[in-house]
Amino acid sequence: MFILNPQSGTPIYRQLIEQIRRMVSSGQLAAGAELPSVRELALQHAVNPMTISKAYSLLEAEGLLARQRGKPMMVAEQDRAQAPRVQRLQQLEAELEQLVLSARQLDLSQEDLAKAIRKKWSEHDE
Amino acid sequence: MTSDAYLAARAAHKTFDGRSVLTGIDASIRAGDVVGLLGANGAGKTTLIEMMLGLTPPTSGNVEMFGATAIEAPAALKRRVGFVPQGDELIGTLKGRQYLDLIASFYDSWDRELEERLVLLWGVDLAQLVSSYSTGQRQKLAIVGALAHKPELLVLDEPVASLDPVARRQFLKQIVEVTTDERRAVLFSTHIVSDLERLANRVWILKSGRLIWNGELDTLKESVIRVHVPQSAADLARMRLRQIISVRDSGSAGCRIVALRAPDEDWSSLEDVLGAEARIEHLSLEDIFVELHP
Repeated sequence: MFILNPQSGTPIYRQLIEQIRRMVSSGQLAAGAELPSVRELALQHAVNPMTISKAYSLLEAEGLLARQRGKPMMVAEQDRAQAPRVQRLQQLEAELEQLVLSARQLDLSQEDLAKAIRKKWSEHDE
Repeated sequence: MTSDAYLAARAAHKTFDGRSVLTGIDASIRAGDVVGLLGANGAGKTTLIEMMLGLTPPTSGNVEMFGATAIEAPAALKRRVGFVPQGDELIGTLKGRQYLDLIASFYDSWDRELEERLVLLWGVDLAQLVSSYSTGQRQKLAIVGALAHKPELLVLDEPVASLDPVARRQFLKQIVEVTTDERRAVLFSTHIVSDLERLANRVWILKSGRLIWNGELDTLKESVIRVHVPQSAADLARMRLRQIISVRDSGSAGCRIVALRAPDEDWSSLEDVLGAEARIEHLSLEDIFVELHP
């Protein structure tokens, strides 16, 4: 469900926060959807459970997640099912920046990059 | 000294034959902590662990274990610690089964079910003499011995050095299992930085006997940046960054500066100040470690 890379310069709890935010704003995680327990995620990814609960707690403070007694964390009722497109695009800003930078360093054209993205996209449609 | 710490060192020094091995160690471990100890070869990691556990006294300063002077800690306190030393100290003339039974006899808290599960998972042949085990098998047996009595504090010196990747991953999950109980704490040293990034919430970086970082792993990653700037902006960058760790000048290719954020330093506008050509990146723990050891 999540892709966590411990060897990234971005702390694991931030990676998790960003991914959950994205999935909520895209509607992939709808209001009321339950998240895996801290223990389950920690064991699955072999990471410190405190890292997972830190991410969950910060998202709870933000109002994105809601804690329920004795049950898993849940996606809270959002204002809208899906955030506006501009807002969703904004969440890709860092990745876009990196992608464009790498493409330019490799001396690829805008067209090359667009083509590669379209190809990758269609792979996920299958 | 705060008495709620499982282990605590204050201004602890250690010298061997007049040579300083550890200098000014101030560090503690509390319930819920998972501390990863990182250091180059010869930095003093094993000596630090041994001193914290009261196996060797500090030359000056003090070290406490569960509130008692570590070197004099009574057996009842030492039983609350599980320790896997780097070179295992297993008794070769015992069979694996005899070894575990011997260890189990010291502890009321021995978890037979956990022992059996780990032995099965790791394929440790308890019918064989320990002296016939491979290094990896010995390491597994030592880890089972330390985990099965469910110590409040688990201390491991290079625990996975001889484990294959599968056994290592199983071991990591076992440590995660331990850390789901917030009354327990773990201190481990390792050269495998990615393991540390998974498990630790705090990091101690030991360099030439001094703890140059003693804090949260997340804070460390968020505090260190590498800035790539063209020569024209290099001076400006050096002025803006206060705690510079290293500078590498690559001539026409620009300048690479690694810096640590001071608590009151605001970097949000750094990119704007340095211009569009500047690039700011965060580093993995391995990169940070390497940058700290020029």
